[in-house]
Amino acid sequence: MTEDVVVTNALTKRFGELVAVSSLDLKISRGVVYGLIGPNGSGKTTAIKVMNGLLRATSGSARLLDEEVPVRGVIHRIGYMPQEMAIYTDLTVHENLELFAGMYSMSRGNFEGAEKDLLEMIDLAERRDSLVATLSGGMKHRVSLACALVHDPELVFLDEPTVGVDPELRKGFWDYFAELKSAGKTVVLTTHYMDEAVRCDIVGMMRLGEMIAEGTPESLMKAAGTTTLEDAFLANAKEGSV
Amino acid sequence: MNGHRMLAVARKTLRSLRHDRRTAGFLIFMPLFMIAIFGYTFGGDLRDVEVAILNLDTGGSDGSVADAIIAEISYGDTLKLSILSDGHTDPLSTAEGVVRDADAWAAVVFGQGFTAEVEEGIAAMKQGLPVSPCQVVVLLDGSNPNIAQAVVAEVTAAVQRVLVTEYGFNPPIAVHPEMIYGEGAEFIDFFAPGVMGLAAMMVTLMLSIISFVHERANGTLDRLLTTPVTEGEIVGGYALAFGLVALVQSTVILLAAVILFRVEIVGSPLLVLLTIFLLGIGSQGLGFILSSNAKNEFQAVQFMPLILFPSILLAGVFWPLEAVPELLRPVSSFIPLTYAVDACRSIMIRGWGLGEVWPQLLILAGLAVVLLTLSAYSLKKRR
Ligand SMILES: Nc1ncnc2c1ncn2[C@@H]1O[C@H](COP(=O)(O)OP(=O)(O)OP(=O)(O)O)[C@@H](O)[C@H]1O
Ligand SMILES: [Mg+2]
Repeated sequence: MTEDVVVTNALTKRFGELVAVSSLDLKISRGVVYGLIGPNGSGKTTAIKVMNGLLRATSGSARLLDEEVPVRGVIHRIGYMPQEMAIYTDLTVHENLELFAGMYSMSRGNFEGAEKDLLEMIDLAERRDSLVATLSGGMKHRVSLACALVHDPELVFLDEPTVGVDPELRKGFWDYFAELKSAGKTVVLTTHYMDEAVRCDIVGMMRLGEMIAEGTPESLMKAAGTTTLEDAFLANAKEGSV
Repeated sequence: MNGHRMLAVARKTLRSLRHDRRTAGFLIFMPLFMIAIFGYTFGGDLRDVEVAILNLDTGGSDGSVADAIIAEISYGDTLKLSILSDGHTDPLSTAEGVVRDADAWAAVVFGQGFTAEVEEGIAAMKQGLPVSPCQVVVLLDGSNPNIAQAVVAEVTAAVQRVLVTEYGFNPPIAVHPEMIYGEGAEFIDFFAPGVMGLAAMMVTLMLSIISFVHERANGTLDRLLTTPVTEGEIVGGYALAFGLVALVQSTVILLAAVILFRVEIVGSPLLVLLTIFLLGIGSQGLGFILSSNAKNEFQAVQFMPLILFPSILLAGVFWPLEAVPELLRPVSSFIPLTYAVDACRSIMIRGWGLGEVWPQLLILAGLAVVLLTLSAYSLKKRR
């Protein structure tokens, strides 16, 4: 059974003259880890913001979990981790998590369980009561990720979740994403690390707002006749520019 | 509206204040500082105003009327007298010089034939003859109207008393003030409610402007908006938090006013706090709207004087509304602080209850609702 949890139709976002996202057609099935890759400014963040209702599409449409964007009815089933560190630095780790849990009206019991698991995953259990302002950059990123996952969303958008995170923890993150996937959750993430991109089920390559190639990492490499995803991306980018 | 989410927003707002000890301390000590400054500056009655006395009166058979008046004046502690010697060649210009050099605020001069003139006048009056009053000249430094007024009032009162006690001369008409409200009220009773309202408004406005600019700049506001929380709940949560801050502050001010300055609260302190709460959430809404038109803290804080000065000057905090020029009165009626100060004053001095101050409270509540709704709307529009 394949059910599309993210569907966009010629989704376009302009900022004045600049076309940040150009006629994007996405279809992402449930239980998939989907990676959006592409150079700086290629429109990954903009696409995710439009889907999460933070920016209004210039034209085209998007549906999440079968509801037209901006969603309201299914909003509690979706999670979002922005690219910037959007957490409260003047609160503790625990208080941040509790705030976001509160936004989803989680029960105390559910929250306590989720908090314990997530703190373990981001390896910050002993910093639970530290002010976020006193954490290192990578640690803050980890807290931000936990805030996006605290309510156990079935569809989660993670904009560069592993930036600034050390290799050991990154591996831990990917194990966690695999867990989410096996629990039937859908993960849409962006990354600049090709070793992460190959771990995605489907990779979408963006350039100048357009989707230039999409498929499993293997199929992309095969189509481009390369052995690494990086080369596949470079080959595709060159083709796109002709 | 989901109450739990609103409370969660309120809680997080208060929690960040709690972690920021200095700001939290500022919130408590700023109003204390304000009431103390204003209290000690304006609170006391005038005391020990320097006044020079030049007594040239040679007296009469029963002593000197001038001496009697001087004794009366020196009885109170408003004026501090220094007697000028009459030995100078030109005592009058000496007296004037004392005022000119600002060694005294005023010089009171009794002429040579003062007692004789007074006695003549009284005798004439007893026979029903026309009288031209003899004069006590007061040379005044009018650069401080309060002081000038106080000096003239003291001297006039002393003259009246001497006429009554020495000559049994009772004026046929007496103005007899009878306090319906404010028996024993002093200036501090008048402005304590004003300072309280002003402090609550200033702080909530500032907190709300800065918090929201922060929320926007850090992306946390955007992030919150991707959760089920609504714009209304965010605005409501903040209003609740800052309303509580205003309440704590006002409690501190009320306690300080009562303990330090013996301000008497005739009516219900709870009603005063309710008024301040309404003012607080209204100001929060105002701050929010201002901050939505600002790109950063600097731009937002630029709005502060625009709101603050009219509020201080036109809302009746230090001067009664009657002192506001006719032309500017309509402005006064658009300032929320006007209603809060008016209500607090009526409660604290007149002892009025909800039955009397409900119109002001209704206006404050209405303003709060309108401002908060506009705030929530300004968030929605942005998306
Ligand atoms: N608010 C905005 N106003 C104007 N232009 C914008 C705005 N946000 C993004 N852009 C532009 O849209 C384009 C796409 O930006 P976007 O942030 O989506 O890129 P990205 O793929 O996420 O890049 P990165 O890998 O650096 O995160 C860029 O050219 C950017 O300058
Ligand atoms: Mg980006």
